[in-house]
Amino acid sequence: MSGTADQMVTKTDTALNTPKPPRRAGLLTRHGTLIAFAVLLVVNVVLTPNFLAMQTLYINLTQVATIAIVALGMTLVIASGGIDLSVGSVMALSGALAPLIFLSGFATAHPAIGLAAAFIVPVAVAALCGLFNGWLVSRYGVQPIVATLILFISGRGIAQVLTNGNLQTFSNPGFSFIATGRLLGLPVQAWLCLALAAGAWFLVRRTLFGRYLLAVGGNERAARLAGVPVRRVKLVVYSLCAALAGIAGLIVSAINSASDANQAGLLMELDAIAAAVVGGTLLTGGKAPVFNVIIGALIIQLVRYTLLANGVPDAVALIAKAGIIIAAVYLQQNRRD
Amino acid sequence: MKTVKLMLAASAALIISAGAVSLAHAQDLPPLAKKDHYKVGFAQSESNNPWRIAETKSFQDTAPKCGWDLVATDAASSAAKQVADVDSMIAQGVDAIFLPPREEKPLLPAVLRAKKAGIPVFLVDRSVDANVAKAGRDYVTFLGSDFIDQGHRAADWLIKATGGKAKIIELEGTTGSSPANDRKKGFDDAVAKESGMTILASQSGDFARDKGRQVMETLLQAHPDVTAVYAHNDEMAIGAIQALEAAGRKPGKDVIIASIDGTRDAMQAIIDGKLGVTVESSPFFGPLSCETMKRYAAGEKIEPWVKVSDRIFTIDNAAASIAGAY
Repeated sequence: MSGTADQMVTKTDTALNTPKPPRRAGLLTRHGTLIAFAVLLVVNVVLTPNFLAMQTLYINLTQVATIAIVALGMTLVIASGGIDLSVGSVMALSGALAPLIFLSGFATAHPAIGLAAAFIVPVAVAALCGLFNGWLVSRYGVQPIVATLILFISGRGIAQVLTNGNLQTFSNPGFSFIATGRLLGLPVQAWLCLALAAGAWFLVRRTLFGRYLLAVGGNERAARLAGVPVRRVKLVVYSLCAALAGIAGLIVSAINSASDANQAGLLMELDAIAAAVVGGTLLTGGKAPVFNVIIGALIIQLVRYTLLANGVPDAVALIAKAGIIIAAVYLQQNRRD
Repeated sequence: MKTVKLMLAASAALIISAGAVSLAHAQDLPPLAKKDHYKVGFAQSESNNPWRIAETKSFQDTAPKCGWDLVATDAASSAAKQVADVDSMIAQGVDAIFLPPREEKPLLPAVLRAKKAGIPVFLVDRSVDANVAKAGRDYVTFLGSDFIDQGHRAADWLIKATGGKAKIIELEGTTGSSPANDRKKGFDDAVAKESGMTILASQSGDFARDKGRQVMETLLQAHPDVTAVYAHNDEMAIGAIQALEAAGRKPGKDVIIASIDGTRDAMQAIIDGKLGVTVESSPFFGPLSCETMKRYAAGEKIEPWVKVSDRIFTIDNAAASIAGAY
């Protein structure tokens, strides 16, 4: 939380918006995410049957990976002061593309090339979707919520047209490895998620681009006047977010051995935003606490697991989810004062 | 004496007039002439899932056999488009309309317009609230499956297959949807009569493979003593099979699975020995629609709910039936 970029942003913020001197945040507000996660773990150890088992860890890691990966991208976009509603639809699109590619005639003739293309092309198409979002936002100044609403609606439509609205089922061990394989006892997608998180952390904390990103989100006008290439930063950030959603889409298709354009990634944007917010990302931008967001995703996942395993009905589970988000926002309000 | 006579006469007149009113009501439904060829409209609500596509195909396949000149439309998940589709069928002067109403409120006026234009309407696979429209008055009848009975039959099979002793995890459909409510009721009521059958947990998997798998993974971890799974549709059953296999269980052997729908994937899972049973929820409405329409044209009084006879698929007939599955 104490990188130089953060301090820079806080300074501009303080100078322009908040006349009050920053108050020392309490333990709860500073480490709220981690504390909440620890509390949740303890509650589960006491309440949930068979919680302390390797299989529990394995299940939760396989299930959280997609939320966490999408939440990483979402965090970057939110840090730039935007939001991306199209992630779920982009997941559906990339998830639908992959089987189309490796089931095609060319791919059956050249399995290795087909498999590689099934990973690369859908993510590239997803990144192009993001580029489109970024272009609308940066070139025409369209509100991010409106700009990304376009692909939120049409992205799933394209995926449905591509697959005729049908479920595509397949059996391709090479492709399914990214979601069903294990490395050192943990699911492959968990390692993938960890690697992507490390990449995102490096990008935000250790590169010039990271400084630019936080500056744009902290105060776009000031950043532009200071010579930050605001447009390019936004283009990159929306592309990254969509590419990450594309990867998540591949994982969902791989784990189910089926692509479902109608259901894949449904409501994912909300889970991703929730994970980002619970992780301490400010929706006003200027902050990208990458590892806290991963913890945020774990909290969302663990709450879902806890309620399910203890037989709490669906409707109540939704209310509980909302309660957690309210608590997170409340803690953030304290942090901002 | 005179007054009594008068009163009798008055009440008799009242009864007669009441009879006339009810007669007029019965005649309210537009009749259908007996012909060899009909122009028939089918206003599909959406085509974004295999079930709906199979339903439309069933109507198309039936058309030549039944002497229909079929006008099939697809409302693409929009109630407004479906209303426009029905209106355009009225304008084209079709002889009868088959309609799965996407939403009852906006579609009802269109149904009444068709009636006014003298076109009988048959509701297919989705009914409307009996308080707002009645079969035999506003539309001819509702053709559809009995979801409660589907759940009941899945339960009966499971009770037999497990010898009346099972610890069950139930994967429910989308919370609040009528197939989910009814399939749960039918199953739970039947299972409650057997002392050896207990439902360990019952949670929604949203009728989807991915959600079904995730919910099953979690419930399996919390209830490792499970011996049977009942899923409200085949997609969730397949998700449950994946979850069981990932946890090192043997679906079909350690854990017996019962499901509803009768999709091609489910039939394959039965042939592979992983799925025990799937009770059909037939999308093949074409032949039944043809038959019902002919009965109506012949002047027969049609019952308010024409039930689709759903088959049941097990290892005995899955291999023989998979070719016709959707």
